[in-house]
Formats: sequence, C-alpha cells, structure tokens
Amino acid sequence: MTQRLLDLAGIGKDRLHLEWLSSAEAQRFADIARRTVAAVKAIGPLDQEAFSMQIEAARLTVDNESVRWLVGKELSITSKGDVYGRSWDEAKYEEVLDHALEREYHNNLIILAMKDGYSSVREISKRTGLAVLRISYLLADLERTGRAEFRGMTDSTAAFAAL
Amino acid sequence: MAEFEPKIVAFLCNWCAYAGADLAGVSRMQYPSNLRTVRVMCSGRVDPSFVVKALKEGCDGVLVAG
Repeated sequence: MTQRLLDLAGIGKDRLHLEWLSSAEAQRFADIARRTVAAVKAIGPLDQEAFSMQIEAARLTVDNESVRWLVGKELSITSKGDVYGRSWDEAKYEEVLDHALEREYHNNLIILAMKDGYSSVREISKRTGLAVLRISYLLADLERTGRAEFRGMTDSTAAFAAL
Repeated sequence: MAEFEPKIVAFLCNWCAYAGADLAGVSRMQYPSNLRTVRVMCSGRVDPSFVVKALKEGCDGVLVAG
C-alpha cells in the first residue's frame, strides 16, 4: 500500500524496501543492506524541495481514517468475507483500496494547494498536475464533507478554500 | 564531486533483522554504512506514516526488515 502510494506521489516505490530474514542470517542481512543501498543509489537523491507537497499529501493519506480501516480489514475480509456475506478476492479488494488511496491522495493535494493560496480549479490543476475535471469532482465532494468551501466568484472564476 | 551516498532509514525487527545485523557486525561482515538503524520490537510496529515521515525528514530511502 505504501509502495503504491509512493508511486502515485512520483516518489517511486523503489525508495521503500521490505525484506524478511531470521536472526541467524547475517550474510543475508549484509546482502540486503548492500542491495538496498545500491538500489537507492541508482535512483539518486530525493529532492525534498520539489516533492514537499507530494510527501505531505502522502503523509496525510496514510493517516487518513478510511484508508487505515481499509488496510486493517483487508486480511479478515479477503479470508472470511464482508459483513454482507460476500467474498472478496485479494485483487478485487486491492482495486477498492487503490481507488480509495488515489482519491484520498488527490484530495490532499487539492487541499494543500488551496492552503498555499491556489483558489481556482485551473490554478489548482497547474499546481498539482491533476486534470481540471478530476479536481471539479473531488472539490464537490470536499465541499459536501466540509473540508473545502466555495468562496465566491472573482472575475467569473470560482474561488475555493480549504477549511 | 564525491559519489552520492544515500541516507537510508532502516526499521529492523528486534528479533529478526536487528539480531541479524548484530550478528553480521560480530562476524565482521562488510556492508555499507548508509543505513541509519531504528530498532523496533516487531516490523508490524512500523506504521506507513513512519516511512513517509522518514522521507519527509530528508532520507533518500527506507528499509523495513523483519
């Protein structure tokens, strides 16, 4: 999940390595350390300045309640089914999770852009790189759920702000 | 310019990877010094937000080993 989010944010899943080993496998640890360092070296340094908005949006996304619930319930729902008695295979569940993850990440990008003073859909689009249509849809939802509000028209452009 | 040396935060499980790293040290095996180790009691303790926080605080990569 975190690797998918890093990909979504353009940071790249290869910056996060997950490995399993036992306490007796010293050689394996040394190999893993070497491999991880070589892989990150190959990608190059992470540009904190350029990615500060993306990293912050990713942080807000992994702290999001719905995303955390979805991650926490995955094992039980894919193995025992949901409360409606429907069974879920892993691929189908991950699709739902990916969808929620992407949506929440985009929501957070929009909110951060608004907090930085970008108020119109076009400005937000330019700042975040998201499509205008996508932002309009998400903004409608953000308004409905009380996370953003319509602040009126300036020169026939709708202005929005984060709450 | 010197070669780029990445900063990597390594979350190591006390019982598996941390002991493995310890043993690697005791056995004098060579491995790169780019890892900044954080010992956790279980790799399940590692919250995704730790990973993102590490990247935010200026590291270039994260390793979670259990």
